[in-house]
Amino acid sequence: MPIKILAFAGSPRRYGNSETLLDWVLESMIADPEVVVEKVPLDEANINSCKGCNACEKLNKCVQRDGMDIYHDKIIAADIVLLSSPIYCMGIASQPKALIDRAQVFRSRKYVLKLPIVPPGRKGKRLGVFLSTAGQNWSFVFDAAVPSVKCFFHVIDIKDADISYLMINGVDEKGAIDLHPTARTDASNLGKSLIAEIKKRLAA
Amino acid sequence: MTITVLGISGSPHRHGNTETLLDSFLEGARAGGGSVEKVVLKTLQYSPCRGCNACHKTGKCIVEDDAVMLYEKILASDCLVVASPIYTMGITAELKGFIDRQQYLWARKFILKTLFFSDDHIKRHKGIFISTAGLGWENVFDGAFPVITALFNTTGFEYYDNVIANDMDRFNGIKNHPTALKEAFDKGEKVTGIIEKIQKG
Repeated sequence: MPIKILAFAGSPRRYGNSETLLDWVLESMIADPEVVVEKVPLDEANINSCKGCNACEKLNKCVQRDGMDIYHDKIIAADIVLLSSPIYCMGIASQPKALIDRAQVFRSRKYVLKLPIVPPGRKGKRLGVFLSTAGQNWSFVFDAAVPSVKCFFHVIDIKDADISYLMINGVDEKGAIDLHPTARTDASNLGKSLIAEIKKRLAA
Repeated sequence: MTITVLGISGSPHRHGNTETLLDSFLEGARAGGGSVEKVVLKTLQYSPCRGCNACHKTGKCIVEDDAVMLYEKILASDCLVVASPIYTMGITAELKGFIDRQQYLWARKFILKTLFFSDDHIKRHKGIFISTAGLGWENVFDGAFPVITALFNTTGFEYYDNVIANDMDRFNGIKNHPTALKEAFDKGEKVTGIIEKIQKG
């Protein structure tokens, strides 16, 4: 069985800093022949925002028909789910926020309808990654983004201890991350350690 | 001069808990003599920020849509009341998409230096955040505050107050909350009077 990696590139700006950071992680993962990567630029994924109708609490599915129909199943199938986002106005960009809010259907399934998200045999065998970049240099610039990201991973059955973070501040203009002293190495090491960890979990 | 109070509803859900709480604030503002307008984001046509940074050079957004119109309205208001429910520990994607569009104003302020708000201006312009959350957690609004702060800072409003109510799921809606609607009305009435007083000097 291949190791399935699903990576959401959340920035509306293609090939910018947060996507580059994501690409570095993915590059080091795909070096392993067992790994299959799918990268999804959210700006092209046709995922509408949540309408707040709460119908999923009864229907166990979303009333909207859009890109999420595809990614709902892919999120469940993936062994590792990555999400990258730039920080805009102290929070994640609206495109990844829309994805996160649409995960409400998983929340309803898990906490309201008390149904499983993944089959029992796959529990604890999924990992999550949040990658982010910010123009500002403030140490607290990622603080408002993290709680939403945690919720996203929790409702898709990836627990706190299984979420990794790599967040780089002080990079603004396109390409700025290339000049960062450690980002590329950190991203590459993260990718390798995640593959080693998921192999261990899947073999268990 | 009549005090202009602009309410922006960021909920995709019409007449739900958050919009009802906003309505109560705006009624209070009207009772306090304010000239009140409410804009519902879901009825507008706008796209989220593209992150192209073109505005860093021009001070203008390359996208001409309702977001720019609404920012013009914000800049002409004395009191800005922004409302959003908490979805997944943050504001809605609709409101976040709109707030991110303020980048052209940020660029005018910090890069091009063509926009400046004096301390006096900021004191005369008050920003209020209105929110509701289903969960009862005390920290449920924490992810929203920094984003709202960014909006008020960029548009020249003092972040004056919040009207926030959590635990909506347990209360079964804002109408059953013991204090929130009255608090919103009272704060709306009071802040309008305060701005009027400051403006009269």
